[in-house]
Amino acid sequence: MSINKVNTHIIPMEFQYHAPTTLAEASALLEKYGDEAKILAGGTDLIPHMKQRKVEATHVINIKKIPELACIKETSKGIEIGANTKLRAIELSPLIKEKTPLLSEAAATVGSVQIRNLGTVGGNICNASPSADMATPLLALDTVVNVYNREGSKDYTLEEFLHGRGEVKLEPGELLTGMTIPLQPKNAGMAFEKVGWTTFDIATVNVAAVLTLKDGKIDHCRVTLGACSPAPVRVYQAESILIGEEPTQELFDEAVYLIAACVEPRESWRRAPPEYRRKASQALAIDALTRSIEKARRLA
Amino acid sequence: MKIEITVNGRKRQFDVEPNKLLLNLVRDELHLTGTKYGCGIGECGACTVHLDGEAVLACMVLAVDADGKQVDTIEGVAEDGNLDPVQEAFIEEGAIQCGFCTPGFIMTTKALLKENPNPTEHEIREYLKGNYCRCTGYVNIINAVQSAAKKLQS
Amino acid sequence: MAFPNMLYGRVLKSPHAHARVRSIDVSKAEKMGAVTITPDEIPDVTYCPRLVSVPEATYKDWKVLADKPHYVGEAIGAVAAESEEEAQKALEAIEVEYDVLGASFDAFDAMKPGAEQVHDEIYLKDDLLKVENNIGCQLSITEGDPIALEEADVVIERTYRTNRRYHNQLETKSVVVRPEADGGISVWSTTQTIHNTRLLLHDIYGIPMGKIRVYKVALGGSFGSSIHVNPVVTIAVALALKSRRPVKLSYTREEDIRDHCAYQMIFKLKLGANKNGMLAGGRLEAYLDIGAHQIQAYPLLGCIVGWWVSLYKLPYKDYVGKAVYTNKVPSCAFRGYGNPQISWVVETMMDELAGKIDIDPLDFRLKNYIGEGDLFWGQGPSVKSIIQSCGVEEILTKGAEMVDWYNRPNPEEQTGRYRRGWGVGRGYHTSSAGAPVPSSIVDFGGAILKMNEDGTFDYISALMDHGCGTQEAHVKIIAEELQVPVNKVNIIRGDTGTTVYDVCTHASRGVYSGGGAALKVAMKVQEQIRSFAGRILDAYPHAVRIRYDEETDQTIIFAEGIEGREVSYREIAETARHKNWGTVASVESYRQPSCPPHFTGYFVNVEVDTWTGKVKLLRVVAGADIGTVINPLLAAGQVHGGFAQGWSMTTLEDMPYDPIDGDLVNRGSIANYKVPTTQDLLDVDDLTVFFADTYEPTGPFGAKGIGEGALNPVAGTVANAIQNALGVRFFQLPITPIRILEALKEKEE
Repeated sequence: MSINKVNTHIIPMEFQYHAPTTLAEASALLEKYGDEAKILAGGTDLIPHMKQRKVEATHVINIKKIPELACIKETSKGIEIGANTKLRAIELSPLIKEKTPLLSEAAATVGSVQIRNLGTVGGNICNASPSADMATPLLALDTVVNVYNREGSKDYTLEEFLHGRGEVKLEPGELLTGMTIPLQPKNAGMAFEKVGWTTFDIATVNVAAVLTLKDGKIDHCRVTLGACSPAPVRVYQAESILIGEEPTQELFDEAVYLIAACVEPRESWRRAPPEYRRKASQALAIDALTRSIEKARRLA
Repeated sequence: MKIEITVNGRKRQFDVEPNKLLLNLVRDELHLTGTKYGCGIGECGACTVHLDGEAVLACMVLAVDADGKQVDTIEGVAEDGNLDPVQEAFIEEGAIQCGFCTPGFIMTTKALLKENPNPTEHEIREYLKGNYCRCTGYVNIINAVQSAAKKLQS
Repeated sequence: MAFPNMLYGRVLKSPHAHARVRSIDVSKAEKMGAVTITPDEIPDVTYCPRLVSVPEATYKDWKVLADKPHYVGEAIGAVAAESEEEAQKALEAIEVEYDVLGASFDAFDAMKPGAEQVHDEIYLKDDLLKVENNIGCQLSITEGDPIALEEADVVIERTYRTNRRYHNQLETKSVVVRPEADGGISVWSTTQTIHNTRLLLHDIYGIPMGKIRVYKVALGGSFGSSIHVNPVVTIAVALALKSRRPVKLSYTREEDIRDHCAYQMIFKLKLGANKNGMLAGGRLEAYLDIGAHQIQAYPLLGCIVGWWVSLYKLPYKDYVGKAVYTNKVPSCAFRGYGNPQISWVVETMMDELAGKIDIDPLDFRLKNYIGEGDLFWGQGPSVKSIIQSCGVEEILTKGAEMVDWYNRPNPEEQTGRYRRGWGVGRGYHTSSAGAPVPSSIVDFGGAILKMNEDGTFDYISALMDHGCGTQEAHVKIIAEELQVPVNKVNIIRGDTGTTVYDVCTHASRGVYSGGGAALKVAMKVQEQIRSFAGRILDAYPHAVRIRYDEETDQTIIFAEGIEGREVSYREIAETARHKNWGTVASVESYRQPSCPPHFTGYFVNVEVDTWTGKVKLLRVVAGADIGTVINPLLAAGQVHGGFAQGWSMTTLEDMPYDPIDGDLVNRGSIANYKVPTTQDLLDVDDLTVFFADTYEPTGPFGAKGIGEGALNPVAGTVANAIQNALGVRFFQLPITPIRILEALKEKEE
């Protein structure tokens, strides 16, 4: 790409602007314009990417005017978060702080206050960035995502949705409407850890852990790892050796070894070599496990 | 496209292209040049304005998306020719060197103190971390925010 | 800034690191209504954009637009149109054909025989020179007997590599040029020197000097990146001359990051010491990876040896410095001008040497530092003077006490995940490039001060303030001399037509040298006021006294002890007008007789997470000897900012290149060039700044500079603290988490 096309003073391309007020309208526009259309949610990725010519669009579809897309509520199924919910709202939500505190913890690490006042949880996931700071904790919470389709809505597990090739599972005309975080086991301890080069940076590695203790042994357990492979992953091998065991340093050492084994960054990633990510993922996993155990103990 | 934005308390009508950024509308059409371009990609905070009362980056907002909203810039902070206590504190504490980041810092600080009138140093640092300053090492800025908090409380 | 009828410029940049432009087709852009410029439309002048040295020491290899671009991002053309959007479209419509040439991205590769030459020929003053092995210029110096080094008890030799840093000043390089009806131009640009800007534009475009007006504007930071005239300025002038309309050209961040950077240096240093704790001598080879053009790298070669030999006494010193062309963004001054780089090297090796001869590193420094009465040639071999004030001992001993230095941890005793260490480092910087005799560096300034008809004063100076509070300090100096409150001295923002020459705001000379000029005009003005007062009071001018009267808010001149013999500044000004005596005013130029070093010292405590490699700051104590502290709040602010930049230099910043396409690995995005946020430094109470009690006899009211000395020792200090925590030394900057984990792994093996 020529350096002469990039211009961050302006948006160096012309597009038609659409601001649908219903999901059906948005879906119809997406279907009509296909690849030429881009969804504008928070804009914190789309707009810089347009300036940098990483994205070319002739139609921009602003979905902020669709009221049902921004919400945080508790239902019988768990917590529902609309795709257009601002990261700042997730960070500050008393409900989320109470029920799934690692989500507020993770949201607070994204960018800055100004960015979180714009950026949305749906955007964070749909950009399918390997280092998306919301994807890793949502994965650890067994999140189910809700997709609108003209024929009806579809649900996927987040794992299915992030199918790992730098894109999410959305067909033409479909859009992410929100997600449901199932009720978490009582007394679950949760933690999110992240390392970047500064405190205002994307993750070089991030880790989330959710676990419970039963009779002093790990009962429910989820460990997820981000920024280390094309999409964040759940580390099943580590979970399986943790479950049913007493949390000891030796056990954690064994588990984080398995976590580090999942580190498979793309060759083109220049932030850090695989060795660094392996080593740091172990450190963050130890921290996340230790903190969630401590919390689980306190809650037990 | 025709839009209407309330800028620093005054309703204004504009006819803009969809790709016009709020930053450029404010700077070029309204000549409110206190809002600065620093990076264009959300890294520096120099373009911080308030959109419906919340601190956001004007370099990442389409002007058309601000239609019907309220935009406040650094130019609207002083009232009746008197500096705002946050502005006063920045001057008194030597928190300004080259001054290019200052409008952004003041806008973010105002948002912080509205939400949290008595922030700890850690809370101040966390809230301001999207505003970049190459000159001061932030020390006098943190002092200024603390001093502004005191002024506003008394 | 904006003017009616103004056009917006955009620059056509080379996507290749080295190429010859075979053709540029601007027809489509012009059809869109844009004004375009290409290399053959610009006067064929080869120049150097930095004019701080004499012509005999100035190498020239720049053109306004390159027909053979030498780095990715170099300007080969430009457009101007009614809006930035239209200019952008026109820019994208230009078609260019290139013959791509070989390129070098490393100084040592570039010096190899057979490497592609970045420049075949350049000029020194007006003489054509052939470039060999891509060495743009070089300097060597030897003093003393080499036997001192050869026979030293302990000798260490090491290679060090610094990072390539970007100034990241918050305001990108920008300019507005307005063509005037008389054939001249008016220029508003982000420069550190309005007069040198005028000089260069005169040299390139041949416009009579008096018809070029360069105006002072507020600068959004600079840190040395606009001592030279930035490419936006020379390009926008061409666009304005061709379009006959005002043109604004403001770089985007991604353009700015490909416009200037600090010098990356590779040092081979050999230092010897004897068991008695004294240094014996040293040998230094310095290789400057200057990028594609010289921005006066030659005086920098002199400064590097100067910085090196003026830190510690070296009975024998041998130096060779080479500035090497590579196909990268041209390097220019960056706060400290090579001093942060060489100080990191020397301060790292001082610790290592101290270990070898078993002396405390702090004591080793105290035994060897250069201080009062010693010869100082920080600004290079042509700028020598004797040090007349020095607070090094006070800084080091007081700081050591504050941090309980002698009880710091021993790295070998630490084995856990988190390890802590203390480091010490010291440094200094020159305040201006003044000296008792002329040198190859131009250093003088000037000022105008006049009394207004109401007894207030207008101060007019060409010296730019890029955020250090320099002008404010000048006002304080003038106010002190004239015994008036600071609000009686107005700063008039002048231009080249209304000010006298000042070389540039750089070299920490703003307060010392510029303030010297301010003091000189203030003294002259006081003399005239006394003379007028003498006439009014029928008193002897030299005998009257001056005091400020708070009640009337007037400064009064009076004959002490004699009732009724007093007159205010206001009355003097009024009388002078009514009686047609003329205006009280003074215009003076001033050259400082010396360039006294301001000294700094740091004590830094860090904690390293040996699992993630992250380094956290725990405590910083900074001591500074800046002579009389004129502006305490802003002087401390300079130290805070200097520390933050040094911390960033040590742990974060670098701009590697991708040899495949020759562009920066960060692709011009500062999302990939991280600098510390508010959260990446330390709490306010954990950072202590104190000033030594000194007085510089040559400075205005005893003052010296501070801007650069605040930064220079930081990298060495932080590196020593990391070493103290881990027992590992680093020979490459930055010391990133990645490098820390690699080094720890190596140490384990």
